[in-house]
Amino acid sequence: MLDSVDNVLIDCDGVIWRGDQAIPGSPDVINLLKKNGKKVFFVTNNSTKTRKMYADKLALMGFNATDDDVFGMAYCSAMYLKKVSKLQGKVYLIGSNAMRQELEKVGIQQTGVGPDPISGVQMDWANVPLDPEVKTVVVGFDEHFSYMKLNRALQYLNNPDCLLVGTNTDTRLPLEGGKAVPGTGCILKAVETAAQRQAQTVGKPNHFTYDCVASQFGLDSARCLMVVDRLDTDILLGSNCGLKTLLTLTGVSTVADAEAHQESGCPERVGMVPDYYVESIAELLPALQG
Amino acid sequence: MAGARAFGFKGCRKIGGSQIRNLLNAKDFFLFDCDGVIWHGEKAIIGAPKVVSSLIKHGKNVFFVTNNCTRPRENYVNKFYRLGFTDVMQEQIFSSSYCSALYLRDVAKVQGKVYVIGGEGVRNELLQAGIPFVGDEDAPDGTIFNCALASDVKAVLVGHDDKFTFLKLAKASCYLRDPDCLFLATDVDPWHPLQDGRILPGSGCLTSALEVATGRKAMVIGKPSPFMFECISSQFRVDPAQCLMVGDRLETDMLFGANCGLDTMLTLTGISQMKTAQEYRDSDHSANQSFVPDYVVDTIADFLPAFED
Repeated sequence: MLDSVDNVLIDCDGVIWRGDQAIPGSPDVINLLKKNGKKVFFVTNNSTKTRKMYADKLALMGFNATDDDVFGMAYCSAMYLKKVSKLQGKVYLIGSNAMRQELEKVGIQQTGVGPDPISGVQMDWANVPLDPEVKTVVVGFDEHFSYMKLNRALQYLNNPDCLLVGTNTDTRLPLEGGKAVPGTGCILKAVETAAQRQAQTVGKPNHFTYDCVASQFGLDSARCLMVVDRLDTDILLGSNCGLKTLLTLTGVSTVADAEAHQESGCPERVGMVPDYYVESIAELLPALQG
Repeated sequence: MAGARAFGFKGCRKIGGSQIRNLLNAKDFFLFDCDGVIWHGEKAIIGAPKVVSSLIKHGKNVFFVTNNCTRPRENYVNKFYRLGFTDVMQEQIFSSSYCSALYLRDVAKVQGKVYVIGGEGVRNELLQAGIPFVGDEDAPDGTIFNCALASDVKAVLVGHDDKFTFLKLAKASCYLRDPDCLFLATDVDPWHPLQDGRILPGSGCLTSALEVATGRKAMVIGKPSPFMFECISSQFRVDPAQCLMVGDRLETDMLFGANCGLDTMLTLTGISQMKTAQEYRDSDHSANQSFVPDYVVDTIADFLPAFED
């Protein structure tokens, strides 16, 4: 199987690490893939780190990786806004410092990052000063999310020409140390409810993430393998883009989940069945070493 | 009228004059929403105080049913008085915060504490009902990495909270991992209008965030859930056939009326427009009929001529 593949797109959480613990054997797998001439890309829906922060984390864990190998959601969202939305003007950002940095790197100015506590009375909130250059509200993971930020987003979105873009819809975000907290999907839902409209989302299962990698590196989808741990977002993306898909069982989805999709007979769900599965990515080691 | 309702067809008729007089004679119980129906912010709608006092003088039972959970009931009484509704007593006021406390105390009979995402209105009602609660005790430097969880939390109650933070969302979803921990929402209104027509985010935003985080659905106390009518019925002898629900929001007030088997009236001084009511009436989806009012008035002040006799 590995011989038929030139490029490997690897999801991070649940595939090569859990929190800050590498899945045993995974650094060797990645490094051997590269040694065998494969291109390896790290893809994640997590928007809390810049490409450089991810590359540093990967290096610390023993993975051979550079900034250019990483496609985190902060970077992909900035690319989406630049290339797809062709954004003019500023962004009201509910998101992390990493998102701010990636946006600034592509020349997009933002307002809103950081704590934003409430003060004053209801009339004040409805009349918050709005930056007239803001043309889009962007929602990513934000530990400083508050009623005031929700309110500001609503006031901007009262203008029907103001766009609403979400980084991803994941319901939980794994933290260092193994805990998990509510994910970007929760914050995005609050904003969508207030504004009574749906956001455009950048992350998986939207195929923009794959397009971003493919267009930068000229990839042939028939010779790409996606290695992931989630059936509904990740495998579906792989199927939709015509990639080979490999499920590892060290993360969210199980074999039983995959079998249930396969037996369902429902065309949508059959798209969530992986081509291959392994207990852990370490199972690829023998094939790579031999 | 009752026959028309049995077939799911609602008239959506604008009425006036003698039609209103007939309706007032036929009904004994009048349930009013507040915002957009009897007042806008701090201003009474012209004629509304006289309508309420005339109904009471004519021996009608008047109740106020509001999703607004930001004040305790005694505070509402002050507001009624301030705006000229001088005959209104606390017992006539049913807010979603008051009814949430009733639910926890009398229906769920919760043993243990309630984790509250909400303001003074909700907290005060819980206090008065004798229900212990926690929330808002986070140290200023508390973060999602080191927050303390209270023991013995048996319910999470979400209401309008202008001090809402991500940390509260994280804590609430931790408590709700226990399937025996109740999940309650005062209401699910997505936004509220202010006096000048601008809008603010509502409880519905916070509730939906928590539903996504937990994969659970909240039990809703406020309109359109029929629970607040059950609260009224448990305290007063009410016959649904003798009731008229008067509101300004189709998806909340009219649906509430339909869910409780009450006749409904839309007043056009608030959120919903006649055009929208007609679109629901003419739509193919039978579910949309529940949003359609039986009657429509421009303002409840249109009741006033009916009292001149």
